[in-house]
Amino acid sequence: MLGWEFPPLINGGLGIACLGLGRALAKHVDLTFILPQTDPAYFVDQVNFIGLNHLTEQDLESMSQTEELRTFAEVDLITANLQPYLDAAPETSGRVSTERTGSETITQYEKFKEETGLALFADKGTLYGEDVNARVVAYARAAAALAENRDFDLIHAHDWMTFLAGMEIKARTGKPLVLHVHSLSYDRSGPEARGWVFEIEKQAMEAADLIIPVSHYTGTICSGHYGIKESKIHPVHNGADPVDAFRAEKTFPEKLVLFLGRVTGQKGPRFFLEIAAKVLEQNRNVRFVMAGTGERLRELIEYGAFRDVGDRLHFTGFLTRDKVNDLLSMTDVYCMPSVSEPFGLSALEAVQFDIPAVISKQSGVAEVLTKARKADYWDVEKMAEHIIELIFDDEAHAEAVTASREDQRNCTWEQAALKVTQLYTSQLPAEA
Amino acid sequence: MPDLCLYFQVHQPNRLKNYSFFDIGKDPFYEDDELNRDILSTVSDRCYLPANNLFTDLIEAHPGKVKLTMSLSGVVLEQLEHHRPDVLASFQDLVATGSVELLCETYYHSLCYRASGKEFTRQVEKQMATIKRLFDKTPTVFRHAELIYFNELAAFVEELGFKAQLAEGIDRVLDGRSPNHLYQSPNVESMKTILRNNILSDDVAFRFADPHWEGYPLTPKTYAGWVKASGGDLAGIFLDYETIGEHIERSTGIFKFWKELPAALEAEKIAMTTPTEALENYESAGKYDCHEITSWADTAKDISAWRSNPMQEEAKAKILSLEKAVKSHDNPELLHQWSKMQTSDHFYYMCTKGGTDGEVHEHFSPYASPYDAYLNFMNALSDLQVRVGL
Repeated sequence: MLGWEFPPLINGGLGIACLGLGRALAKHVDLTFILPQTDPAYFVDQVNFIGLNHLTEQDLESMSQTEELRTFAEVDLITANLQPYLDAAPETSGRVSTERTGSETITQYEKFKEETGLALFADKGTLYGEDVNARVVAYARAAAALAENRDFDLIHAHDWMTFLAGMEIKARTGKPLVLHVHSLSYDRSGPEARGWVFEIEKQAMEAADLIIPVSHYTGTICSGHYGIKESKIHPVHNGADPVDAFRAEKTFPEKLVLFLGRVTGQKGPRFFLEIAAKVLEQNRNVRFVMAGTGERLRELIEYGAFRDVGDRLHFTGFLTRDKVNDLLSMTDVYCMPSVSEPFGLSALEAVQFDIPAVISKQSGVAEVLTKARKADYWDVEKMAEHIIELIFDDEAHAEAVTASREDQRNCTWEQAALKVTQLYTSQLPAEA
Repeated sequence: MPDLCLYFQVHQPNRLKNYSFFDIGKDPFYEDDELNRDILSTVSDRCYLPANNLFTDLIEAHPGKVKLTMSLSGVVLEQLEHHRPDVLASFQDLVATGSVELLCETYYHSLCYRASGKEFTRQVEKQMATIKRLFDKTPTVFRHAELIYFNELAAFVEELGFKAQLAEGIDRVLDGRSPNHLYQSPNVESMKTILRNNILSDDVAFRFADPHWEGYPLTPKTYAGWVKASGGDLAGIFLDYETIGEHIERSTGIFKFWKELPAALEAEKIAMTTPTEALENYESAGKYDCHEITSWADTAKDISAWRSNPMQEEAKAKILSLEKAVKSHDNPELLHQWSKMQTSDHFYYMCTKGGTDGEVHEHFSPYASPYDAYLNFMNALSDLQVRVGL
């Protein structure tokens, strides 16, 4: 399995999903995760981890003997965007001589790490940023070398950062390639986005044997937007790990409506603000909280002031997990007006805190929370109507909580892992 | 030849602590006492104490010649009483020389006049009582926080009984006339307006330490020459007291400049005057018809430092809108807390201007950004709303 984020080093929902699925899958299959960074103190039952920040000398030795990335040649022909990164990629001069010993060897490995880009993974917590493309190439190079020397049946790659590695391993080993789609550049950057991420996604999905999007919604984007054959696409919904949910008294008399997520266009924070203004027009006894940070934050803060809702719409910035739980324990309604949300794990987490969710139809979680109130992300009127009903009609609120508890029962990682295992079997040659 | 009217403003706001959403309804204390105490102490050591000593000595060395005008906001007096009684005593000693005229302003250094004349009056009366209590003085001349001035305000201030109000000398209102005269608003009966000579004031308030300025380095002799050449009846040199030693560091020679200025003025036969003396000696030179709201802040000399984006507008409007609810509680502590949140500095920190104005705002702000200033203020405001039942 090829992953990018993984607990305890996480940035968003991807790491949490990889852990949930990995832990459940390990009961059915032998699982090895190759990750850019691991924490040696972090263990998961029956799962082997290889962190590029903690490679053994044997690994480094064997890696230095392998060839260059084959996929580069192919990618090179398809997109000019990749060219700058190819230039940056080192030649095979970084091979390590086996004759050196002692401290000199260590120095040589350091040099090797620099030249192959492995050094990019040395600093914890910097998996994205300006160097992300160089990291993706370095990851692909290392993962392919490591995989070549191992015995396995199937490649399972999570999101575009690992897709290049997935393609390379398939090219070298001929093993079936399964792509798990948690999020696409379509979601993050909009339908008009093109460039290296889009190209990798498209090319990898074309090369893959099986594609597992986290929802039917995302499946339609794979087929419709990327033009991938529908027969390869088999959605499996995410699960949600049980949480220690609790309820706490609010310290103010108003009801509380929560938005939780990155403050970026994809999550629809502007719509949340419009919904807040709409609700407040009708009833001032509500507070709205936007928890999270992102590039749209300042613009939205000022726009909230312009809409005169600054004393009812609070921006908390980034919150720790404990603070998020404190917030959830006080929340009356969860609102997720995402413009394009492959899944939306946070809505499930809210439901675990017995908070009814009002979610956009353009989200994967809408397929799971069958009875949750939904509206198109742009339908501010409808969203506001839903929220007002849920916060001021106690009966409606109670019904929504009961319904979401039922929905929740169907959302476990065990069920997801069972489906994935069945899909694996379909890719493997029938046992003799 | 003009007299020199030298006026210093002394003010420190009550900066807010980091007040998060999770504090709303739980924590009724909004101010960062430690930060406010530390800043007050730093400024006291760099400016207030040495400058007070300097001017006390000068007044003694030049009896009847060195005269100052000062205004201390109610909130800084309160901080001094609480944290640095020694510094308050030093101000009291300076005033006790008899050569310092104290002005009146709103106790809370606030921007409330347009929203509520009643609240404005309350704050003026509170300040008068404080000046009486601490200095045994009864001011007769008024200055609004940040030297804010316009016709309508002048009329209101006259009704409160003041004989003169200070204002920024705005070129577009003066329309070619010199700021070095007494003027009158068309809206008043007899109250005079004393204008700030912004060129001579900014020479010593901002440009003094700028090595790229053509007047650098400025000597007292040169400056006295400029004052003389500026003509008229009186040159209003109005500036923050904190420019001496705090905004402009001691190493620039700023203390030496002020120490040597009285002798340089005497050499040029320039007298120093207080506003009250000027009212006795000079007549109004005409109408100063100021319809727009002006101030001494930023390059625009208007109120854009506190009111140029929706965050400032909302924060200011919402805090002032609590007047009725707060006052209905008959709780002096609550009233005091609410009033302190009217201090103009809170809105100054929320200003999103760039350029040199932006740099000045940033210099004074305890926040990382104007957005943080706004969010923090709105959280505290929300708590206040909860407490008054809104």
